[in-house]
Amino acid sequence: MTARYGMVIDLDRCTGCGSCMVACAAENNVPALPQATARTGLTPMLVRKVSNEMDGAARREVFIPITCMHCERDTPCVSVCPQQAVEVDKATGIVMQMPQRCLGCRYCMTACAYHARYFNWRDPAWPAGMEKSLNPAVAVRMRGVVEKCNFCHGRLHAAKEKAAAAGKREIDAADYVPACVEACPTAAIHFGNLADSNDPVSQESRSSDAFRLLARLGTEPKVYYKSKEAWVRQLAESVSARNPEASREAKHV
Amino acid sequence: MKVTRRDLLVWSAGAAAGLMVTPVPWKVLDDVSIWSQNWPWIPQPPRGPVEVKQSSCTLCPNGCGLRVRMVGGWPVGVAGVASHPVSRGALCPLGFGAHQLNWHPQRLRAVRHRGNTSTWGEAHAAFAKACSEGPVVVIDGWPGRAASQVLENFAKSRRGEYRVVLSPETRALLPYERWSGAPATSLGYDLENAQTIVSFGAPLLDGWGAPGRFTRLWAERAAGMTDPQLRLIQIDATLSRTAARAWRWAPVRAGAEAALAAGVARVLLEEHLVASRGPMPHTTSAEAADQTGLTADAIRDLARTIVARGPVVALANDDNPAIAALNVVLGAVGTRGGVVRRSKTAKSYVAADAEIRSARAVLINSSVPWDFVPRTDAEVFRFAAWDGGSSKADWLLPAPGFLEELTDVPAAPAMATETYAVAQPLAKAPHEVRSAAQFLAGIDASLPTAEKIIRARCQDLFHGRAGTLCAQDQTPVSKVASAQKLEEQLWNGAVWVGEPFRAESFRCELKEWPTVAASVPSQNWLSSWSAPILPPLASKVFQESDLRERPEGRIA
Repeated sequence: MTARYGMVIDLDRCTGCGSCMVACAAENNVPALPQATARTGLTPMLVRKVSNEMDGAARREVFIPITCMHCERDTPCVSVCPQQAVEVDKATGIVMQMPQRCLGCRYCMTACAYHARYFNWRDPAWPAGMEKSLNPAVAVRMRGVVEKCNFCHGRLHAAKEKAAAAGKREIDAADYVPACVEACPTAAIHFGNLADSNDPVSQESRSSDAFRLLARLGTEPKVYYKSKEAWVRQLAESVSARNPEASREAKHV
Repeated sequence: MKVTRRDLLVWSAGAAAGLMVTPVPWKVLDDVSIWSQNWPWIPQPPRGPVEVKQSSCTLCPNGCGLRVRMVGGWPVGVAGVASHPVSRGALCPLGFGAHQLNWHPQRLRAVRHRGNTSTWGEAHAAFAKACSEGPVVVIDGWPGRAASQVLENFAKSRRGEYRVVLSPETRALLPYERWSGAPATSLGYDLENAQTIVSFGAPLLDGWGAPGRFTRLWAERAAGMTDPQLRLIQIDATLSRTAARAWRWAPVRAGAEAALAAGVARVLLEEHLVASRGPMPHTTSAEAADQTGLTADAIRDLARTIVARGPVVALANDDNPAIAALNVVLGAVGTRGGVVRRSKTAKSYVAADAEIRSARAVLINSSVPWDFVPRTDAEVFRFAAWDGGSSKADWLLPAPGFLEELTDVPAAPAMATETYAVAQPLAKAPHEVRSAAQFLAGIDASLPTAEKIIRARCQDLFHGRAGTLCAQDQTPVSKVASAQKLEEQLWNGAVWVGEPFRAESFRCELKEWPTVAASVPSQNWLSSWSAPILPPLASKVFQESDLRERPEGRIA
């Protein structure tokens, strides 16, 4: 059975603590380079802060975790890659990045509308001895390649192996949970199979509070957000409203 | 045929130009790139048998449940434990990178004496000499543990003193200790049963107490609801992380929290919104408005909102008697959903920040926050796992790091019920480190070991037959087969949870409104973090993103 893995992130529950960012980096052996900045660092999960731009007690802020949206249709990073280093896994819907094929041209970074891809500017390095603390399920990527969120693909492999060992063809949903989902102290990030109409995440994605960033592009991102606060939903909708022509065109692609 | 110099140059230029249209240079360039991307010394993850163990985080007194993935005997990842009764699966952002701390470049690996490398033998001789010459003061940052008992026993046997640096959450409970006699370390907040929480600057969603305790509660009962079951009202000078997500935010001038508490209490008493339980504050609404920057009407509205849905409890970010007095006025002391007494066995401690006189030596345990500097002229022996730079300690002694030492974990500060857990040593400690308890055992061989005390405590819990053992399942202690079984489960990550508090055990009598305390700076997400360094990956939240401000005085 083919799955369409995706997320629903409840922005009303996000406190912007950053646990997801650190847990993601630890799981995926992302180095913390002393010279890295917001421009040159690697943050496959990045929490951004936005406000309603009001003053005084009326001011409200919300934190938006941004990760690869795993676009389903006309995936921009796939179509621009000259090396076939990016592909959408037909079995899972996960947009995969293969560092062994990547030549570091960064076309995909330019094509990504969400700025969710990062370039490895430097050799991965850790202080002496710290390599003993790396996660053996994930290979260290080399300098000169692009990387991004892959929904903790190593955990999917582990879940598949566990299912195979038990003689099952399908994985148990509880065995495949990305690190950021597991780390969230308020359970704001939900992960599941969007193709399964009985999956709670699939049902959440169809709720009236759910929305997607830059939905007007028509790339069918598989990361949804939800909020009961009207100004947060309006913020996402206003992005579409700025260019209604593009939105209409996107629907006809 | 004669080959001229010109022929040679022409031939060379032609060869160079011709080579450019062959694949050779591009293949060489490609191979060099690939080769240089895959240097043999690029770090490779460890290989070995994988096992998962449960333990407790020992980096601060909150003791969150940890699920530690180990490869070949080394921790390679940590996650929360969903069944943990305190942290409920959550960890702070620092905790997720804590398994890398033992490899931090600032790791202290040798004894240092006034900046120079020394030996354990010299440190031992110097401390023994100091002990023979006068009293010793021992300072601890995490009281109630077995190791703390070793330190306290040693200090008392040497006619010395045992002092404690309390967490901000416990310091906020000190006014109740002064008014009731119940130790602050025995008190907590029954947040789970509160309907309205008024936080006077306490960073409830940003590092206050065990990360999972309030954040889970808030997420389940308050987040995103227009009329939440749990109303969180945040009093803060700036739009803090907690204020941004609170049900209501009241912006006041920095340091005006005590004035606002007095103003609110006066409105409550004047308008008979509460049964009269406390003295009338001298501060009028107009005076409170003047000091806080809010209007008098806003303060009256705030007072009415606070009592609209009870039980209600007010939380301070440090020792602030006015906010404790507001709880007395609200009737939130010793009642369900308020300030409660969870233990009758906890003790009061002497605060470490008082000046230390007539001591020959001061020993500081590694649990004491690095930025704490004792006010003393005595010789200072400081245990620390990491070197945080400038320190007034004469001796810097390398202590065990993250999960390198057996320790027990008593109840987290401000908990409403007693808990007890054991953190077994999972990582191999370098041979050059020693804990303060091990060091003192070298001076006084009659001291019990921490392991022996932990075993005795497990026996006491079993024979008490009270409380529940929480692991994957919850088992009443009365149904546990033997003391050995209980101890075994605690060593494997289970947590003992005591009986709920009894309201009648705690009362505060307040005759007059307390004088306004000195303003206390706001806490931040690092307030519970005692180490002078941060996990390298923590830089993701302040260096590679604009999520938080760069922490001052910490090395990431």
